[in-house]
Amino acid sequence: MSRNFLTIALPKGKLLEESVRLLVAAGINCAAIDEDSRKLLFEFPEEEVRCIICRPTDIPTYVEYGAADLGFVGKDTIIEENKNVAELLDLKFGYCRFVVAVPEEDLPPNPAEFDLRALNHKRVATKFPRVAQSFFADKGMQVGVIKLHGNIELAPRVGLAEMIVDIVSTGKTLRQNRLKEVEQILEATTRLIANRVSYRMKYQRIQSLQDKLRELLTEEGC
Amino acid sequence: MKRSALGLQVPVGTEDILPRNQAFSRTLEQGILGLFAAWAYQEVSTPTLEYGSAISPQPDKEDLLYKFFDREGRVLALRPELTTPIARMVGTRLRHEPVPLRLCYAADVFRLQKAPARREFRQAGVELLGSSSAVADAEIIALAVDTLKLVGVKDFQINLGHIEIFRGLIADLGLNRETCAVVEGCLARKDFVALELTLAKTKLTAEQISLVLSVPTFHGGEEVLARVEKLAQSQRTLAALANLRQVYQALGLFGVQAQVAIDLGVLRGFDYYTGIVFEGYAPDLGFPLCEGGRYDDLLGNFGYACPATGFAINLEHLVKVLELPEYEAAQVFVAGGDQASVINKAASLRQQGLRVQIALEAMTGPEAEAYAKARGIKRVEFV
Repeated sequence: MSRNFLTIALPKGKLLEESVRLLVAAGINCAAIDEDSRKLLFEFPEEEVRCIICRPTDIPTYVEYGAADLGFVGKDTIIEENKNVAELLDLKFGYCRFVVAVPEEDLPPNPAEFDLRALNHKRVATKFPRVAQSFFADKGMQVGVIKLHGNIELAPRVGLAEMIVDIVSTGKTLRQNRLKEVEQILEATTRLIANRVSYRMKYQRIQSLQDKLRELLTEEGC
Repeated sequence: MKRSALGLQVPVGTEDILPRNQAFSRTLEQGILGLFAAWAYQEVSTPTLEYGSAISPQPDKEDLLYKFFDREGRVLALRPELTTPIARMVGTRLRHEPVPLRLCYAADVFRLQKAPARREFRQAGVELLGSSSAVADAEIIALAVDTLKLVGVKDFQINLGHIEIFRGLIADLGLNRETCAVVEGCLARKDFVALELTLAKTKLTAEQISLVLSVPTFHGGEEVLARVEKLAQSQRTLAALANLRQVYQALGLFGVQAQVAIDLGVLRGFDYYTGIVFEGYAPDLGFPLCEGGRYDDLLGNFGYACPATGFAINLEHLVKVLELPEYEAAQVFVAGGDQASVINKAASLRQQGLRVQIALEAMTGPEAEAYAKARGIKRVEFV
């Protein structure tokens, strides 16, 4: 395969449309990507590009092994997957936050008086065990992590855990489940990641794409 | 007793190597060790097990070591690489030998990496100890190039950087120690987003920040160095640049400059490298084929201040980019009615240097022909 050919891994779901828009704006004509078609592989030979559509959590793996040269993926996934990839650029979209939340009724009358240390050695339900574990470890705390695959908000309601660590964008789900954010862990946006060998071998192509994306983001005032 | 399902498997990250692959790996390795010998590197071997005290990095850091206890309760670990064990060996047993000392090895190493990465794999490498000259670094790089050529990697490139250039530039900016540590961590993880955010929180100007961030994009021939020289302020950075220039020029003397690009994006975090660093890449292989560089402080850990440089090749990755040759069958099949004459005939053929297989039971001529044909053995001796 040519030294210039790029395989780009794009996340299916809500980040796909914006990822494709940015790529097109950066001069890679891949507008034909259509999630509804259920195709997972889109070839653009005239652009020397092919795009693969993956589950977001798998993207760091594709990139680490060099099955994809580049990937568009949320910082939340990068942290949780902890793969050896180069993180090149903050693409600014897909903003979300990692927070610790507890049931409203467990908060003192004045929520400002809440002390996180009350959660020491308690159980936390999360889709992101690594993020949760390292956040509490950095605070010198220990918690029991329960890994769940969805509907995390349910766990404290039925006594499976005393708190949750999850991603919030608007906070609506938390409110609906009478959970209250007590601490923000980190903010996340979509990132451009690269395989560490591709990043050096296909350096010119990747660098120019990265520069164009950076310019675009500046123009758009992000 | 029939084994359980687990008893039929090998541990995660390990693999049985079947005859065809093993024959290939063995040939490759012998070729590589032969080349190292032609450059006057002497082969050494160190224990598979070392004390944790000899090879562990900082006590609190996550490492990839397989660890055990010995009878006295001391921590033992399987070696994750050979450079540190060889530094220990030289520091304790070869320190009175005249330098430069040229040593090489081919050995299995063990790392508790995440599946499906290999946890047991083979490395071949060289260490050139006792010289801080640029020619020593160039010899190592030239030998890496020769090795990849010898084994027949068709398309590869070596990217050459210098650990002190980026560190020096960061130091020139007068950042505090804490920030420097964070910056180093970002570089180790190749996290340029966090690097930018970290720098943005300092008192640096936007111009200074974009300069720093542009350094890893410097890539090419000697002209790259001139561009960085304009940014450098301290003796430290300038010395690093001058050193990289000398090494690159020396590569010209070895005739391997065409295969090597200067690339200030070859970055390392907390490890033992102190000077030039390089990585060898092949297309469509997501991992470096070989890695190396200068490590002038490591032997000091073993009480022997001695500059050193070296590289290691990952043989598992190497095999992936090469074409596996056909399995070589026996050259002669010896069969007949009388076992004694079969065995004697085979022995005399082997003395001529042939690969010879005997029939384990009496056979007729046509049976022997059919057997040999089925196994791809070209010559049949019927006695």
